[in-house]
Amino acid sequence: MRYILEFNKVTKIFYPPFSFKNPLDFLSSQKAILALNNITFQLREGVILAVLGPNGAGKTTLLKIISTLILPDSGTVKIKDLILGKDDLRIKSLIGWVGSSERGFYPRLTGRQNLEFFACLYGLDKKKINLRLQELFKFFKIDYQDKRFDTYSSGMQQKFALMRALLHDPELLLLDEPLKSLDYTTALNLRNFIKEHLVKEKNKTVIFTTHRMEEAVDFADLFMILVKGYLYGLGTLSELRKKVNNPSATLSEIFLKLTQ
Amino acid sequence: MWLRKIIGFLKKDFLLESSYRFSFFFDIFGILINISIYFFIDRLFEQRLVAHLEEFGVNYFSYVILSSAAFSYIGIGMGSFAERIRSEQVQGTLETILVTPTRTAVLVFSLIIWSLFSATLELFMYITLGIFLFKIDLTHLNILSCIITLLLIIISFSSLGIISASFLIVFKRLNPLSWLIGSLEGLLGGVYFPITVLPGWLQFIARFFPITYAIRAIQLAVYKGYHPMQLSRELGFLFLFSILLLPISIFIFWKSLYRSRKTGTLAHY
Repeated sequence: MRYILEFNKVTKIFYPPFSFKNPLDFLSSQKAILALNNITFQLREGVILAVLGPNGAGKTTLLKIISTLILPDSGTVKIKDLILGKDDLRIKSLIGWVGSSERGFYPRLTGRQNLEFFACLYGLDKKKINLRLQELFKFFKIDYQDKRFDTYSSGMQQKFALMRALLHDPELLLLDEPLKSLDYTTALNLRNFIKEHLVKEKNKTVIFTTHRMEEAVDFADLFMILVKGYLYGLGTLSELRKKVNNPSATLSEIFLKLTQ
Repeated sequence: MWLRKIIGFLKKDFLLESSYRFSFFFDIFGILINISIYFFIDRLFEQRLVAHLEEFGVNYFSYVILSSAAFSYIGIGMGSFAERIRSEQVQGTLETILVTPTRTAVLVFSLIIWSLFSATLELFMYITLGIFLFKIDLTHLNILSCIITLLLIIISFSSLGIISASFLIVFKRLNPLSWLIGSLEGLLGGVYFPITVLPGWLQFIARFFPITYAIRAIQLAVYKGYHPMQLSRELGFLFLFSILLLPISIFIFWKSLYRSRKTGTLAHY
């Protein structure tokens, strides 16, 4: 089976930054935060994986490692057989990343100007940029492309973040809490777009983080349960039900059972 | 493809700058005020400074207007990278840029392309205002020497700027040394007066600053029409400085990004 993503014994620890007030904190293992502990898993193409966990579980760190923004302390990460840390430029052209923050755009530029700039950085030429933007604006029903970015609502800004991640038609889409600012209808449309268009039609792979169980059940094929850097479970809902020996357990019940 | 990315940055920065509608006019006004100050200082002290300026064959006003224009170039090289990195961090765009497949060297150059462009405009504004309003004489100008000198100024001083930006990425603070070096260069580099005005021991120290050679080369190229061979000492020093510092600074920048990826602090400021 071809895997799009392979994690092999990946560990990430964050140490407190050096400060002159408390110089020894820098060396203290008690002050260090274990973000990911010896994580190993493989992910096949064409699925939606929900990474579940409370705040501080390591969900964002996991996504940032895949997106090359954070390097692991140990272990290896492969994306389509490319090794993270060695083939980063090629990896970056395979992934689309939407961060959890609504920042990340130039507030004084228009929505279109922002997307045009990032499309340039993905190496698209002018003709391709225009075509792609036309396609995306139509799909996301964006009528006001030429408004200043800081005048858009949070939901619109989130749509732009997603459009930016899709500009170069990536193989692997990484979404950090993608539905948090969206109203019910927009969230539903977005879920359908990702499920039907990106995953079923185009065989793309999507990883998203959330701490909302019902959102994950509606949206994902696979579920990863992560708490304080430890991986407690990974599989489909029925696989996780088998793991807890309860064929009718809800995802919340599975989560509680596995992490107790 | 790298050219497309650089042009993308240039266009984006132009759009951002032009969104501040009055800043361009304030810049021109600031330059005009500076030039006027130098003009009146020149009228006050012309006779006493002539001996020190004989080598360049110009009055104080012509000397300082050119040095100031060149110094703004140097300032861009020294300070622009750190400013741009800080601005991208604050806007939250540094991470979104770094997830795109853009090489470190292309990113480094792209970050300051607009600043270089605007410094070049500023240089032309200084010169144009100098020629038309204050009648400075550019009849001896050697264009080739000027271009080589400006290129070497950009490369060598940008390298120092890249090192400052690396310091910012790792320590989240501006490099205090860059401020000190910047101030000392203004004092010792011959920007506001030729270094022959300084006492001997300060002149000796000034020889170790690349700005001394940069200012001298540009003055001689513009006002005396020296060709590159006649400026071999000055250009040679700048070339040596550039060739040593540029690869080192890009390596340090790459290392600082690597370290921030390790500590997970790329977006912190």
